[in-house]
Amino acid sequence: MASVVKNALKAIRERGIGSFVRELRDEGYLYVHLLRALILLFPALECLIDKETLKCLFDGNLLQTKIHNIGATLVGVDKFGNKYYQKLGDTQYGRHRWVEYASKGRYNASQVPPEWHGWLHFITDHTGDELLMLKPKRYGAEHKENLSGEGDEYIYHSKGHSLNPGQRDWTRYRPWEPATKA
Amino acid sequence: MSFTLRSVKVAPNSASLEEARTRVFDFFRSACRSIPTVIDIYNLDDVVSPSQLRSSIASQIRKNSHITNPKVIDMLLFKGIEELNNVAEHAKQRHHIIGQYVVGTGGLVQDLGTKDQANSNFLKNFYEGNYF
Amino acid sequence: MGLGLLASRALRSSRILTSPNPRNTILRQIVSTPELQNPEAAQAQPESSPPDLPHRAPVAGARVHFSNPEDAIEVFVDGYPVKIPKGFTVLQACEVAGVDIPRFCYHSRLSIAGMKIKTDTPIAKKAREGVMEFLLMNHPLDCPICDQGGECDLQDQSMAFGSDRGRFTEMKRSVVDKNLGPLVKTVMTRCIQCTRCVRFASEVAGVQDLGMLGRGSGEEIGTYVEKLMTSELSGNVIDICPVGALTSKPFAFKARNWELKGTETIDVTDAVGSNIRIDSRGPEVMRILPRLNEDINEEWISDKTRFFYDGLKRQRLNDPMIRGADGRFKAVSWRDALAVVAEVIHQVKPEEIVGVAGKLSDAESMIALKDFLNRMGSNNVWCEGNGMHPNADLRSGYLLNSGISGLEKADAFLLVGTQPRVEAAMVNARIRKTVRVTEAKVGYIGPPTDLNYDHQHLGTSPLTLKEISENRHPFCSTLSNAKNPSIIVGAGIFEREDKDAIFSAIETIAKNCKAIRPDWNGLNVLLLNAAQAAALDLGLVPESKNCIESAKFLYLMGADDVSLEKLPSDAFVVYQGHHGDRGVYRANVIFPASAFTEKEGTYENTEGCAQQTLPAVPTVGDAREDWKIIRALSEVAGARLPYDTVSGVRSRMRAVAPNLLRVDEREAATFSPSLSKPESRQEISSEPFGNAVENFYMTDAITRASKIMAQCSAMLLKK
Repeated sequence: MASVVKNALKAIRERGIGSFVRELRDEGYLYVHLLRALILLFPALECLIDKETLKCLFDGNLLQTKIHNIGATLVGVDKFGNKYYQKLGDTQYGRHRWVEYASKGRYNASQVPPEWHGWLHFITDHTGDELLMLKPKRYGAEHKENLSGEGDEYIYHSKGHSLNPGQRDWTRYRPWEPATKA
Repeated sequence: MSFTLRSVKVAPNSASLEEARTRVFDFFRSACRSIPTVIDIYNLDDVVSPSQLRSSIASQIRKNSHITNPKVIDMLLFKGIEELNNVAEHAKQRHHIIGQYVVGTGGLVQDLGTKDQANSNFLKNFYEGNYF
Repeated sequence: MGLGLLASRALRSSRILTSPNPRNTILRQIVSTPELQNPEAAQAQPESSPPDLPHRAPVAGARVHFSNPEDAIEVFVDGYPVKIPKGFTVLQACEVAGVDIPRFCYHSRLSIAGMKIKTDTPIAKKAREGVMEFLLMNHPLDCPICDQGGECDLQDQSMAFGSDRGRFTEMKRSVVDKNLGPLVKTVMTRCIQCTRCVRFASEVAGVQDLGMLGRGSGEEIGTYVEKLMTSELSGNVIDICPVGALTSKPFAFKARNWELKGTETIDVTDAVGSNIRIDSRGPEVMRILPRLNEDINEEWISDKTRFFYDGLKRQRLNDPMIRGADGRFKAVSWRDALAVVAEVIHQVKPEEIVGVAGKLSDAESMIALKDFLNRMGSNNVWCEGNGMHPNADLRSGYLLNSGISGLEKADAFLLVGTQPRVEAAMVNARIRKTVRVTEAKVGYIGPPTDLNYDHQHLGTSPLTLKEISENRHPFCSTLSNAKNPSIIVGAGIFEREDKDAIFSAIETIAKNCKAIRPDWNGLNVLLLNAAQAAALDLGLVPESKNCIESAKFLYLMGADDVSLEKLPSDAFVVYQGHHGDRGVYRANVIFPASAFTEKEGTYENTEGCAQQTLPAVPTVGDAREDWKIIRALSEVAGARLPYDTVSGVRSRMRAVAPNLLRVDEREAATFSPSLSKPESRQEISSEPFGNAVENFYMTDAITRASKIMAQCSAMLLKK
């Protein structure tokens, strides 16, 4: 943690507080800060603000990532909006690639699509954008994050499961449907 | 099979009819307590209500109400406990529960009372299905 | 293999027969009995051959010696009859008849060169293998993906007679597939150029669409120009194609033939009652094939019969429904639906109760409906298509009296207001066969139509009919010169106002040309629907002509084409049927019933032959058989019908129309020349005859629900 704070201070020192704040504002964090200050002043506003937006403020991981991003290079952005950073040099080896999730409120590792997974975990040095060109066009299912714990309608149910929406209709005839307006 | 057998404890035989009767009530209570779990794990919310399942269990028990031999009651009780364990441990599938306890042996058409008494056999069969 | 054995056995026995006679040195036995040849050609030839044929001297004074006069048989050479002993070759017969056939190897004093027929020698086997090898040379090895696989003649014969390997290593030829329309799928590379389809199209179907193009390895079957096959019998080429070159398009890749269960039943889409086999898998009808019945459909069926079956899976009524106060149908239980109808039927006056049977109704349900409505006090029950004042008294007044196969004996036809090609395609095929073989003359009165045989279009209105009946028309001489004149009247005129006048004109014509004799009844009515004949036999005749206008309770038993415009708006309509077709839109209550593939029912075809359907598949949803619904309703309504089983219904039928119980027997109308109806005082109107069937492919509730039939009418009926 100390190093993170040091980094942040270093960045501020290097580029001045103005640029740091600007960076934060670009990301939407400062706006939230301001909002929070407003809420403290006018509690009635609270109901207007998205709970998720607020959550990220108290989320240490996000803030840490933000601070970590300072001075790093943005390697790419995937189709879900996740940002992939790399910082070579004064970072511990093995911790020099990371992701900033697009979703600030609810994020987890399964949101990283397969093409970026290899880069992020040092399996390959090819970025996701490069690997995406190798993806076959005709098949290959779209990546879907793991939605366990989000409710029955989100999780995968195998074919034939009573909750699988794509139940096959085994009726061998089509009944006559009475017209909605007779 | 083995895990159910392990979990079923064979209690000593009931000494009297009264004791067997108490045990049956205990069993009924524990079965009723497991109903919410059963509904949850088998996704039965939209097909059955707890009270329906309760009455289904009760009718299974009442089916044997004429038995007075405590040994036989113990045996039936053992089978009931075993079945309950199987159900609660998700050893069955959804359609087993629906078939055995929701639809039941009578089929979806429940007893409609005495309306049909005056009808001929033809009409009774006609209401049941096309093939008779 | 079986054929070879049979032939060799026949040969051996004939050798034993001939050996005791040393003078008979003919080695080759040829069976030339006329009955084994084309039967109608044999019958027709003596009639068509002019009697004054000059006698021809046998070639080079050839003499015939009859060792046994009983052995003499008569054959016809160029229409000229000659008597030859049994066992003569065709060549010898021609010689006796005075026709010199060019030949080199045959000489009457020598043995026939090499003609020792052996069918089971290694050489024969090798020759067959050789032929098989040639046939398979250009035949693709795609049996696993071929729809004919399992019922393929080439497959069977190559298994029985072929070699286990071929020596062909070159490229197989390939042929471009032809588009023959929505019914017949072609994979022309599989074709072995047997030309069965070409001959079928030109001989039976009467369309010159198919032909052989190119020669040698470039030979292929095709339509000469890019063209669909426009015949109502085109589906039969699927059956006669011995390989998988022509297969059924709707059936393509749906099932294998060994998975199917065959049910022998009859077709109800027209009044012919073609014998069919319904092939089903589980609860589904997969395809329909013809069954051989020489008297009705020979071995053909129309495209409508063959391909309407997908209509059985669409638009089905599967639950009893009641129309609520908001005008919407709600599915209810049988108990509730029957109770509602039983309550309503007691609230109306008996004479306001009307029942109409549909075109697909079986005799069992019609007698039940009639009995039920009679018990409710109403006598207004009829079958759609029969008109409001049908003649149900004389069976000869509504049947095809000469029979479908009997039409082959006719030598002059007069078609009155009927287009048999669309009304009864199998009857049309029979007329075409007769015209082709005996060159019978056909006169046609009705709207311009496309009959696929030579015919004279005499006129469009009944006035022409009047001219003929008064002997003022040139066609009269054709009719009166004919030995067996046949007059075919379309059932479309049942709906006309001047029906009685037309019929009396036709009877006059029949009398003038002596069409009604003890040995020949040439006055025919061609019905349109499967239910019509049985309905008239059972006496489904409405009591009053305009009962629809005054009806308060209308029971439609599958009747979709009855005009409901004049029905009072407060009338209560019950629709009992299997398809959500025209009838349900006015209905207040719907009773779902079984289709003919799902029940056992008796139907009488247009020639008076009672036939039964058998259930091929289970009924859908909560539907019930027709007569059971009426029986149940009668009990709920408190007028319980006295039968509980189908045999009970049939014994009731026996009391009314015993001929309906004699299944697969044609019960001809009794011949009664003295029974003449009172002279009709009606005037013949000049209104031209209409088309009884507008769209061949869509005539009833099932065919209207069929997607394939819709495709056919969109593609093939384009004007």
